[in-house]
Amino acid sequence: MLRVQNLGVAYKEYEAVRDVNFALCPGEWLMLVGPNGAGKSTIIKAVSQSLKYKGEVTLDGQDISKLHARQLAKKMAVLQQSHAVGYAFTVEQLVRFGRYAYKSAFSRVDTQGERLVEEAIDVCGLSRIRHQNVLILSGGELQRAFLAQAFAQDAPLLLLDEPASHLDMAYQQTLFELVETWRRHDKRSVLSVVHDVQMARRYGTHALLLKDGRVTASGAVDDVFTREKLQTVYGMDVNAWLSWLHAPWLDGQTGTHSV
Amino acid sequence: MSKTSKTIDKSLTLKKDAQGRFSGNARFLRIAGFPLLVLVSVLVCIALGSVPVSFSKTASILWGAIKGQIFTGDVEATIILTVRVPRVLSVLLAGAALSLCGAAMQGLLRNPLADGATLGVSSGASLGAMLAILLGVSLPGVPLAGSAAFAVLFAFLSLVMVLSLAFALDRSLATSTIILIGVIYTMFIGSLMSLLIAFSGTKLRSITFWTLGSLSGTNYTDVLFLLVTLVLCGGVLLNQSRELDVFAIGEENAHNVGVSVRRVKLTVMVFVSVLIGVTVSVGGTIAFVGLVIPHIVRFIVGPSHKRLLPSSMILGGVFLLYCDLLARTILSPIELPLGVVTSLIGAAFFIVILARSRRKAA
Amino acid sequence: MKSSRFLALALALMMALSLTAFAEGDGLIIKDMTGKEVTITKEIKRIVILQPADCEILYAIGAGDLLVGRGEYCNYPEEVLQVPSVQSGFETNFEQIIALNPDLVILTKMGQTEDDSKKLEEAGIIAITSDAQSISDVYTAIDMIGKITGKTDEADQLIASMKQSFEDITKKAEGKEGSSVYFEVSPLEYGLWAAGTGTFMDEIAAMLGLKNAFEDLTGWQSVSEEQVLARDPDYIVTTAMYFGDGQTPVEEVMGRPNWSDIKAVKNNQVFNADSDAITRPGPRLVDAAEAFYTFVYESQQEADKAA
Repeated sequence: MLRVQNLGVAYKEYEAVRDVNFALCPGEWLMLVGPNGAGKSTIIKAVSQSLKYKGEVTLDGQDISKLHARQLAKKMAVLQQSHAVGYAFTVEQLVRFGRYAYKSAFSRVDTQGERLVEEAIDVCGLSRIRHQNVLILSGGELQRAFLAQAFAQDAPLLLLDEPASHLDMAYQQTLFELVETWRRHDKRSVLSVVHDVQMARRYGTHALLLKDGRVTASGAVDDVFTREKLQTVYGMDVNAWLSWLHAPWLDGQTGTHSV
Repeated sequence: MSKTSKTIDKSLTLKKDAQGRFSGNARFLRIAGFPLLVLVSVLVCIALGSVPVSFSKTASILWGAIKGQIFTGDVEATIILTVRVPRVLSVLLAGAALSLCGAAMQGLLRNPLADGATLGVSSGASLGAMLAILLGVSLPGVPLAGSAAFAVLFAFLSLVMVLSLAFALDRSLATSTIILIGVIYTMFIGSLMSLLIAFSGTKLRSITFWTLGSLSGTNYTDVLFLLVTLVLCGGVLLNQSRELDVFAIGEENAHNVGVSVRRVKLTVMVFVSVLIGVTVSVGGTIAFVGLVIPHIVRFIVGPSHKRLLPSSMILGGVFLLYCDLLARTILSPIELPLGVVTSLIGAAFFIVILARSRRKAA
Repeated sequence: MKSSRFLALALALMMALSLTAFAEGDGLIIKDMTGKEVTITKEIKRIVILQPADCEILYAIGAGDLLVGRGEYCNYPEEVLQVPSVQSGFETNFEQIIALNPDLVILTKMGQTEDDSKKLEEAGIIAITSDAQSISDVYTAIDMIGKITGKTDEADQLIASMKQSFEDITKKAEGKEGSSVYFEVSPLEYGLWAAGTGTFMDEIAAMLGLKNAFEDLTGWQSVSEEQVLARDPDYIVTTAMYFGDGQTPVEEVMGRPNWSDIKAVKNNQVFNADSDAITRPGPRLVDAAEAFYTFVYESQQEADKAA
């Protein structure tokens, strides 16, 4: 179980996140939701130990800031929003990077790992392009390759930092479905930043609503995503806006509604 | 997910491991070709020189020396054994060291233009060596130790300085920013070196040596010095192959899959500095080897450092051997500075590579 | 009798003319060593010289008191060090030169360009360029500097004495030809450089009846160590300077482990020449030639006598 207590992050004078508390149990998918600048990505970066923070982040009771990078990678995989790969590695090699933590100078052979790499490639639909140079992949293919890398890492916790924000709809759906299957499969947990409230509601089990670096609401998705709570955070009627967006299009398709 | 629990054929995985355009050839090259290439090149470069010595004579001198025969009063034997062999060996080692450093830094910084010379590390090392000579820093009984120690220290400081300056200006450490800072830094150090030379009278080697490099006049002490350094530092750097591979996905991602980013960075920077510092204190700044060779090698064996690093060492050593052969024979009996030849060939090579990669991208 | 009187009269007239030449205003025409003609219309009282050899010539003809500025490398004779120095070479400092208010500046073809002399001329300063590449060029330079300073007699004497000394050396060395010499102008540690033809060292070698081991090269060139080993010279001349600590240049050459089979090293025939004397196109070339002659022949005779 991931537990975050009194988390605070400051960039020089500016306090990006303060007094954030939450827990994430196996099998749960916690959505961090809030407007731009609410501190969602900062929380992901703090939990993944990519920046300095105050407070405590524990995993099964263990302070993860004390863990070696290798040990941490076995417990937690991270998928970032976008990537730039330096050299022309193949998709397969990229996925295999996920096994880094499991191989050491003394145990180079990782049979279990090879199986996981194959599975991840297969599941993420990369078999056809496994020998392709990653530098020429499309954004969606590259993101799937990195997801496969995270899967190959075989960690009980996955952190996602707006993983689909620059992908088209088909890729967004594939990505979320893949993560969903992965989560259900072994009671693993996911912590993610998602911009789209509807996506958050569809895939999350729990949610944390953030504004200006503070938690304004938390709990099961249905309890958090109420009209009032969203309105205080976004300063607009989100439900009305979403239904306005969808209404005419749905009408046109069904053809039953008339004004 | 359960549907994919298929058994993986081990041999199949191995074959896939060697995937890539030139995989078959590369494998052959690595196992049989590379040692043969080195051996043949070394012999050719020992046999050829500005004073003609026949192949058979060269062979009999070398064979005699191996058997422990002592040649007295034989000019050709003196030339082969005391001039060419140490020079050829130090050229081979210097080429290997510089290419290894270039490949390692290109991996670490995800920057295909990184190299001791482009980052200002070599000129920093030159300045350090010059200062040590001027200040008379030396360890009794250990020739070169003083200037090499200063060269290493200055190489490391230069690397840290250039990278932190680049980082301060551009957090993303873009390729062009680093190179720009490196070039500016090199020019700055170059002027300091000219100043030192102007004030030192004839105590220092000429600026040509420090900026263009030369391995003429090297002896077996230099060879031993280079060899020990290369074995120690090379071993450490080769051991970072997997980490360098993972650096290709960025430092944050590398951290997320379990790489101790800071430790790897520090290790690579320190050992690259030692290698460059020692090479510079023996042979000055030899440009372009560390830049061009890893490029060509990446083209042949792919980006994986497990192959890239050792192959770069071998091809870099061989490349420098032939450059040095040209430097010593093309205008015989006049000798050219080695850096002139490497820059001429290296720059031409580089343009061809750039043009090819552009055409492919288009 | 009549003719000698006429000669005396003519001489007196010439001297008077030469003394009054400047006052008359018709000027003295000097052709400098780039072929440029310069007219000097006033007496030259303040001179700046950029090249060490020209400085040495100036002092040798007794006109050192005219020097008001010297190039930074001018260090002989010792008095010259009291004269203010200016930066010379490719970064010649013209402000410094003009500030010294000279009547005339002697530049060199190697260090300065034609534009540089124009700069001086625009400032109203006479610019003369010297460019001695051989011993006969050195005579030309002496003659030119003698004319400029009005010390023509002293200049003629200097030239005559130099010629005499070189002739003596040549004569003494006659019949002793056949040995070879390698002039090392940069030591092994810094990368070997040898002096080929077209150098003063080569001319001196010829006077001594020695063959330059690198006569196939022109000027100073970087050479391979193996070439020196293969050419196996009878004499080695190093121009390295000794700073008073560590090995002397001769010890350094003799101590090179793989050079022990070279004849010069085997027979202890390594000579440390005074680098300034043997490389500067000035009067001290005589000293350099004599010193080398003494080393090659006189110490040899002693050795032969002892044997």
